Amino acid sequence: MSRVWCIAPGQQLAMWGWDDEFVLYNDLSGDTHLLSGDSHAILTRLQQAPATLAGLVAAFSGGVDPDDAAELPDTITALLLNLQNLFLVDSRTAGLAEPC
Amino acid sequence: MLTVGALTRKEVGARLGGAGLFLRTGPFVSCIRSNSAVVADGLMQMYSAYPVDDTGYADFHLHLRQSTGWRRWFRPQVHFYHDGEAPFEPMPASHGFAMLEWMLNWCVSGSAHAYLIVHAAVVEKNGHALMLPAPPGSGKSTLCAALVSRGWRLLSDELALVGLDDQLVRPLARPVSLKNASISVMKAYAPDAQFTRAAMDTTKGTVAHMKVPDASVARAAEPARLAWVVFPRYQAGAALSLTPIPQARAFMRVAENAFNYSLTGARGFQALGKMMDGGASFDFTYSALDEAIALFDGMSEDRP
Amino acid sequence: MKPSLLLGALRDPGSVRGLGLVQWDLLLRQADRAKLTACLACLFDDAGVSSALPAPVDARLEWARVAMRRHTDAVHFEVKRIQAALAGLGVPVILLKGAAYCAAGLAPARGRLFSDIDIMVPKDRLPDAESALLVHGWVGSAQDEYDERYYRQWMHEIPPMQHMRRQSVIDVHHAILPETARVRPDPARLRAAAVALPGLPGVQTLAPADMVLHSAVHLFYDGEFDNGLRDLFDLHRLLGQFGALPGFWDHLPVRAVEMELARPLLYALRYSARLFGTPVPETTVAALGSAAPNRVLMALMDALLLRGLQPAHASCNDSRSTIARTMLYIRGNWLRMPPVLLARHLFHKAFITKNTSKA
Repeated sequence: MSRVWCIAPGQQLAMWGWDDEFVLYNDLSGDTHLLSGDSHAILTRLQQAPATLAGLVAAFSGGVDPDDAAELPDTITALLLNLQNLFLVDSRTAGLAEPC
Repeated sequence: MLTVGALTRKEVGARLGGAGLFLRTGPFVSCIRSNSAVVADGLMQMYSAYPVDDTGYADFHLHLRQSTGWRRWFRPQVHFYHDGEAPFEPMPASHGFAMLEWMLNWCVSGSAHAYLIVHAAVVEKNGHALMLPAPPGSGKSTLCAALVSRGWRLLSDELALVGLDDQLVRPLARPVSLKNASISVMKAYAPDAQFTRAAMDTTKGTVAHMKVPDASVARAAEPARLAWVVFPRYQAGAALSLTPIPQARAFMRVAENAFNYSLTGARGFQALGKMMDGGASFDFTYSALDEAIALFDGMSEDRP
Repeated sequence: MKPSLLLGALRDPGSVRGLGLVQWDLLLRQADRAKLTACLACLFDDAGVSSALPAPVDARLEWARVAMRRHTDAVHFEVKRIQAALAGLGVPVILLKGAAYCAAGLAPARGRLFSDIDIMVPKDRLPDAESALLVHGWVGSAQDEYDERYYRQWMHEIPPMQHMRRQSVIDVHHAILPETARVRPDPARLRAAAVALPGLPGVQTLAPADMVLHSAVHLFYDGEFDNGLRDLFDLHRLLGQFGALPGFWDHLPVRAVEMELARPLLYALRYSARLFGTPVPETTVAALGSAAPNRVLMALMDALLLRGLQPAHASCNDSRSTIARTMLYIRGNWLRMPPVLLARHLFHKAFITKNTSKA
């Protein structure tokens, strides 16, 4: 069964960005994070709509070298898990209601 | 408008010994009570241009009590009370004025949360504010004092007050604190400036304060917009270098240097973001004050 | 004793309209000392008075408002982390005091800042709770061996734990009074009556009457009255909110007697009514009649507590206040610990663990 990722409820994603680096305010923990361009891209994509891993891979594969394409799912998974640890994103199994 | 300078030494002593001297520094009024001659002399010397407030309202209430009785003769101490509570150990009586300055900083940084309070010096020229955040020992105070002695307006030497709503920096314009070697450096660099007598063997080494030019005090109600954040580092013999910092990283470094950044939450985040968005950030290494000042003078002229 | 400016403002926030700057100076100093400044800011906002305040006063209250905004969110976040850490315990976790007010959105939460989160679990689950918290990043924060023993051996509690990264502090209790106290309100009964928190499975608060009793016992058994006025104001607000529940005023004294807490409740109702005008029904007071102390003791308690409950600010002191406060400190600790232990504890605290702060 597919896992759906979304922005964690309660996160406004207030951000400031300069030269592909971003700072973000975490409404839940009160922390401020320095984000890479990759994390920012994922958050922006999920802010538009929740997505599965496959969906994210498809969305980003266009901008990636063919050599790196094979690793893309793992890279994105690692980023998602990191963002989840920070309470920025959350996930549910497709078909269930909470939280996405 | 009544200033400290318009009072006689006796009148200052009477207020300090009675209901208090209500001193205005930037946005705050502090009610100061003390029986210490060191404190009274320091106020007369350093604060002559500052307004005395007579409404009876103060934001902070400080009492610096010097030992009386037999203790007067044997290593007298000065005790600090913040509205009746004693949060710190007493200090030698000769450190009384330095203690007043530290306690005024403590009061502001601990409670004035309508501002994002950054541990930094801020000076201004041609309408552009220069913020110098730095951990102790980076030479920030010397650089700040030097800039102030060469025509830059002083907003603050320790606490930068950033308005949460408008991101403007508000002046405190209080005396510049100098430590150890920088005292003699500044006495040579600004021979016309006034300095307090040095307090030796404080927890921060030898400490003295430099009087703020009257022009800065006169404009203490005038905020400034930030143009540059510069992280200074003094290094003997080093060539002048100014290296741009990616702004997101600079944001994080300024936040780390702010006393109350976490407490201000989302508002502090937005205020800092807007403030940084309007400026540029640099790492800065210098060894010669004249070179450093010439560089910043140039920057303030070049910026529209 | 004449009522302080602070008391006047708490009773009737609208009454501050006529105050001059000299009075405001004093009022805010009293409020700062009683840790009620943020609360006052809320009361003024609710009473629609904030726009009529002098500029420097409004600016000063804004300092407190800023601190407040982040606090509520931080508490909610912390409670969720505690819920996650203790989810495997298999028993509900009961939030106490400030954390409970905040999580349940109760009146005393408005403007109330606090630093520790207090929870209660069954005594036999304390070791499991401690292990689970350790795994999730909390560490023990006892200052020295003496403190460690004080908590574990004598008070039968674990020392407060602090989260390594977030620095938040959690205090895990198994009862609302230590085992060494003379009265032992049964935790099992408190748990049986506990109320679920919507949206937080596994986390509860005490039932309304029990929350009032806990507040009363916390106020009148504790030795330290620095927060006395604030805690009594919490209690006044709780009574105001719960008083509207059907049957509350009848149930409260019955529950107090059942839990052996009639005396502290009597004091709580008496002083809340005296200081804040809480509308306590006569029938409730009458139902506690048998718990009243004799007239001499009551007069002494009146004298001690009415002084002890004033803000601990010089402007509110008369010559007897320091003595009153000291007597209350000793009294409080005596009620919590047997006298022999008490002497050792006070001696140690006064001469060995004196805290010093540096700038």
